[in-house]
Amino acid sequence: MQTRRAFLNRSAAGALGLTALQQLIAKGAIQPLHHAAKAKRVIFLYQAGGPSHLETFDSKPKLAEMHGKPMPESFTKGQQIAQLQGKPLICFGPQLGFKRFGKSGQEMCELFPQMGSIADDVCIVRSMWGEQINHDPAHTLMNTGSILTGRPSMGSWVLYGLGSDTEDLPGYVVLMSNGRGGQMQPIAQRQWSAGFLPSKYQGVKLNSVGDPVLYIQTPDGLGAGGQRESIEAIAKLNREAGKTLGDPEIETRIAQYEMAFRMQTSVPGLVDMSKEPASVLDAYGAVPGDGSFSSNCLLARRLAERGVRFIQLYHRDWDHHGGVKKNVELKAQEVDKPTAALINDLKQRGMLDDTLVVWGGEFGRTPMSQGGDGRDHHIKGFSYMLAGGGIKPGISHGATDELGYAAVEKPVSVHDFHATMLHLLGIDHLRMTVKYSGLDARLTGISGEVVKEILR
Amino acid sequence: MADTCFRCHGPDKSSRMANMRLDLREEAVKSNARGRAPIVPGNPGQSEIVRRIFAENPSLLMPPVSAHKTLIAAQKDTIRRWVAEGAVYEGHWAYEPLRRGATTASIDGFIAAKQHAAGLSMSAEADRATLIRRLALDLTGVPPAPMEVAAFVAGEPYENVVDRMIASKRYAEKQAMHWLDGVRYADTAGFHGDNPFPAWPYRDYVLRSIHENQPFDQFTREQLAGDLLPAATPAQKTASAYNRINRVSAEGGLQPKEYLAKYAADRVRTTATVWMGSTLGCAECHDHKFDPFTARDFYSFKAFFADIKETGLVPDRGPKAWGALLDLSSEQDRARRAPLAAAVEASKKAVEAKRAASKRNEKALLGAYENGSLAWTYQRPVAASATKATLKVYNDEPAPGNIGEAVTEPKPGEGLIVASGANPDNETYTITLEPGAGRWLQLGIQAMQDESLLGLRIARGSDRLMVSEIEAALLPEGRKLRFSTAASSIRFQAPEQHPMNAIDGNPQTGWGASTYGDAPVTSLALRFETPLATTAQSRIVVRIRHDSEFRKATIGRLRLALSKGLAMPVSEQRGAKIQTGLSAAVVAALKKSKSKRNDEDRQAIVAALDWTSLAMEESLTALKRAEAALGAVDAIAPRVMISESVKPEVTRILNRGNFMDDSGAIVEPAVPAFLGKVSGTRLDLANWLVSRDNPLTARAYVNRQWRLFFGAGLSRVLEDLGSQGEWPTHPELLDWLANEFVESGWDRKHITKLIVMSKTYRQASTGAASEKDPENRLLAKQNRWRVDAEVVRDIALSVSELLVERFGGPSVRPYQPEGFLAALNFPKRDYSASRGDDQYRRGLYTFWQRTFLHPSLMTFDAATREECTVNRSASNTPLQALVLLNDPTYVEAARVFAQNAYVSGGAPEARIDWAFQRAVGRTPTAGERAVLLDLYKSGLRRFDSDPAAARTFLDAGEAPRSSTPTAELAATMTVTRAILNLHETITRN
Repeated sequence: MQTRRAFLNRSAAGALGLTALQQLIAKGAIQPLHHAAKAKRVIFLYQAGGPSHLETFDSKPKLAEMHGKPMPESFTKGQQIAQLQGKPLICFGPQLGFKRFGKSGQEMCELFPQMGSIADDVCIVRSMWGEQINHDPAHTLMNTGSILTGRPSMGSWVLYGLGSDTEDLPGYVVLMSNGRGGQMQPIAQRQWSAGFLPSKYQGVKLNSVGDPVLYIQTPDGLGAGGQRESIEAIAKLNREAGKTLGDPEIETRIAQYEMAFRMQTSVPGLVDMSKEPASVLDAYGAVPGDGSFSSNCLLARRLAERGVRFIQLYHRDWDHHGGVKKNVELKAQEVDKPTAALINDLKQRGMLDDTLVVWGGEFGRTPMSQGGDGRDHHIKGFSYMLAGGGIKPGISHGATDELGYAAVEKPVSVHDFHATMLHLLGIDHLRMTVKYSGLDARLTGISGEVVKEILR
Repeated sequence: MADTCFRCHGPDKSSRMANMRLDLREEAVKSNARGRAPIVPGNPGQSEIVRRIFAENPSLLMPPVSAHKTLIAAQKDTIRRWVAEGAVYEGHWAYEPLRRGATTASIDGFIAAKQHAAGLSMSAEADRATLIRRLALDLTGVPPAPMEVAAFVAGEPYENVVDRMIASKRYAEKQAMHWLDGVRYADTAGFHGDNPFPAWPYRDYVLRSIHENQPFDQFTREQLAGDLLPAATPAQKTASAYNRINRVSAEGGLQPKEYLAKYAADRVRTTATVWMGSTLGCAECHDHKFDPFTARDFYSFKAFFADIKETGLVPDRGPKAWGALLDLSSEQDRARRAPLAAAVEASKKAVEAKRAASKRNEKALLGAYENGSLAWTYQRPVAASATKATLKVYNDEPAPGNIGEAVTEPKPGEGLIVASGANPDNETYTITLEPGAGRWLQLGIQAMQDESLLGLRIARGSDRLMVSEIEAALLPEGRKLRFSTAASSIRFQAPEQHPMNAIDGNPQTGWGASTYGDAPVTSLALRFETPLATTAQSRIVVRIRHDSEFRKATIGRLRLALSKGLAMPVSEQRGAKIQTGLSAAVVAALKKSKSKRNDEDRQAIVAALDWTSLAMEESLTALKRAEAALGAVDAIAPRVMISESVKPEVTRILNRGNFMDDSGAIVEPAVPAFLGKVSGTRLDLANWLVSRDNPLTARAYVNRQWRLFFGAGLSRVLEDLGSQGEWPTHPELLDWLANEFVESGWDRKHITKLIVMSKTYRQASTGAASEKDPENRLLAKQNRWRVDAEVVRDIALSVSELLVERFGGPSVRPYQPEGFLAALNFPKRDYSASRGDDQYRRGLYTFWQRTFLHPSLMTFDAATREECTVNRSASNTPLQALVLLNDPTYVEAARVFAQNAYVSGGAPEARIDWAFQRAVGRTPTAGERAVLLDLYKSGLRRFDSDPAAARTFLDAGEAPRSSTPTAELAATMTVTRAILNLHETITRN
């Protein structure tokens, strides 16, 4: 039997020949994990732009008291600042009220009553911190654990480590929705790239406009029958050539054409949500085909059911340099209900136990005001919400200081978060390495510790 | 030991354990305080490392369990034996001087010797058809034409073919592809808004340098320091773009110091990787763990580049965009430009004179605004139609408001026209107005933003509006209405998209809106040549033509207005009334006392007074025409970012790479200390890189070249020749080739020819590798691989004879799925595929959008070039199948390929043979022919019974069509499409 080490320590080049091994793993013939997994898959509800922790999960009465006063220099001296460079730093009190929810009494912004209703199912981490203060590098760090481009995204790492559980869909799927506030920061496709891993591990973006998967549409006029005949003929010809050439890549090519055809067949059914019961559509607030965060949450559940390993939903529009109150109100309308609906739905289907759901963005926002009604980018402290997949429900972890500036109690770095996620998936982050550019590269770089306290 | 021991007992002092260092012999044999030494040469029993690696006790065992590094028994034995034999240290191979090798040495000699030792031998030469296809794909990236194959099979000498191919421009294109990956050449900035920057002339410099076989040492000097060469030529300055095409950011709120550190680190990583095969970049935060690079080396290397003029935030628009640029206009361009520029200057003077002479009455202007005589009157169209699209008019009925507001209230449309439905590339709107009786001076067009539209949200499928012509006629008279002048509300109107272009009678030019589009309304004002008198019966028919080369640059929502006065085209922020004919900014400026006005106020007032004064019209219009003419010339002038040397910034060692930490020591430029003592400028660095003192450059280069012809480098880890890389399979060969490279005067084509002339290269690739050498590292046969992304495309275009070969030029845009750029912003973007010849250029010329590289290229593993890449992977994925099956580029290629097959004549079998031969260079076997014939017949049945489907299938792409779309042609197309999808078609055997 192959050992898990042999599998997980392969170089990227060696991994190219691992198809057979992965098939064995998929059939359960080999245990690829470093330890027993709690989670089989991840749904990452990525709130892009940098949600204000101070108007979502991190209540700061002291900041309200200090509203309008200068931010004490003891907090900010020597720290990085983005657009507030050279401007006076003035405390800006929380713009929305907070409430305690559930038996656990978890505190959340009162504009998130649906998420509040599942407070006992989730864990709120209030002590996240990052290293990159601009969107693009911060996304890159959150996704790849590095600020250098060319590194694999976490979804690719997970797929590389665990293989896929579906034979007719990609194992790593990315969805994207836009908010109605218009604060849409760009998101590069490198955020779901496989980096130096083989590109079969890259995320595949499902689009709500145009073809759901790029080039999934059979050419007009050919029809599904014509496409099937063509693919069969291509397979026969490839097989015929393989006889004389003895090239193992040909077998892979044939298998990939078959997979492509299965994708062409299965994707339309996947994205067609018209057969979902009205009660389910209502719970999510989903209107099939509208490409909203609600629809994508429902689509995420459908992907999870079909064995997709890593599902990442970007919801753009959290970059509230101005009008943070009005804009968070708007975001609450967009994300509160579907987030809760997804977690409830997974729970009802018995899938929450082995699905890790993550809610958070690339950074938080300053306790200081920008332009009188907004908040600037902030990396020293922000909040994440986690649920399912072995996460301890109904707890809060860590804290920022009294003004919500820096994570001071049990700080959780991006690497710690990655280490914890991999741990839940049965992977030791220290041991999933790939030789690249002279290093044993890993998702967590050179640091990262599993946050044991939030594990079940 | 580098892999298992040096992390804790190697060069990096910060992570060194037990103060023990094993990478240097003098350190490793030193006794510690207790008299024990890690290594006692000749005495394994006394050597601490031997005791520890064989230790039974887990707490003593090395490497420790926690390191997750294991030495297998054979490795342990080797270490024990090595200690017993005296623990002789050799320097790492890559850092040792080049060994020359015997004068009689040859590639085949080195390869055969190793094979012989392993009991292997060379395979026979590949058959001629395979060999020429291999050669053509490797050297030119384009498969051989049938005539070339026939001539070679008939006996044309191999060397003739090699010489011809190496001399071709295609060779330069193929080689440049790989070089451009290394130097991370792309067409966009890469961070955040990822806007296009002027870089392509650098790509053309690389093409010409390779084509002309410029010696590699000079190629090196020009890229790193072309601007520092005495009397630098434009080409040498263009080469220095190498230092400027790294990713840069224009994101507001970035910290300049942080980004300057990022840019500089990028240059160190790229230069070290490309020229030295070194991971010097690893030493940004700490001393290298495995190679003798220190953090000081990293920052000293970085200091060579400290003279480059640059800013942390690199402006991506406006006059300062992209920093130092070089204008590469040709002599003819300059000659053409000079009189136009002179005309602009003369017109400006005339306008100034006119201004001075005319009475400027601010009060009258404000009065006209206040009494409403400047106002626009929204028109409620009585009819609106388009060539293909549907135009819906909202007059009194509520219009769906949709301008990015949280909550939108339906309001009466007031003449709003909304386009929907079919969305062709070009489109003409015809709108009929019934203005009632009046006397009108101006027609206005207001384009409204709509959240549902892509791009700037004002065009239906583009990131800009492009109105090529506006025509109007008065009915029932049937009189054509002419316009004398035009103005837009856009503050920074691109000169080549001047409003005057919309009334110049030339459909090639147009008025464009391609600013950042912050304003929800963009307006255009057109003045009638003579005032227009209308009666209650009059109708005005307005035709808005979108005929430019930009696809789908059509207005999504618009209103038409007429003005009885000289209203300004107004573009206001949300909520404000815009019918006033004067912008709120101008009104505010007019109301300020003169002493309180700033430059912006003054300019706004001048512009308003100009437009509202009929006396100014003639001279202003002359100026506008001159500006439009100059703008058209300037827009196509090639420019490139170049290095400009200024007083060097101070370079400090950043502790742990932290840009905020100013406490580190100041360093001067220097090459890595263990490699030599060279300081000075970028030119000194370049000279050192190609000097005899540095053995890395030649090794790194020939190792990469080897990969292009055998699928793997002699050392497979191309980006790292250091201790964490791979020991070369044939170190003597690598050195011999490197030495040959230097001795030949850095002759790049010489190295290529040496390799492809070898017997080793010419071997057959068929069959499985020997069990003795499962990875075929000893090359007892040739290897096979799927060709690179660009070549996948080039093969399909070449085989279908769609390929348009033009050497260099601005980058082009192949078809791309709609909405692919939707996640980009600042500005929002859409894509306009190139038309005509530019649609069929080689993959190399594709517009390289770093954050959203063309999905077909990306799927076949093309590098995004955000970062230096010297070793692309070659994956095999279902998405690749989807591209070859369904991407319009490949469907169109199949269609044209079928047309050609059809023209070639004969029975279906003959067509199949012809097409098969054309694509893979051999005739199909009987079995293959039968499969394709079955596919053909079945297609024929289907298309015979459904002629509409045949027509639709044959409608793919924009290349000229065959006149008779028939079921036979459609069935042939299923055959050619299958052939283009074959593994063999995209494989180099």
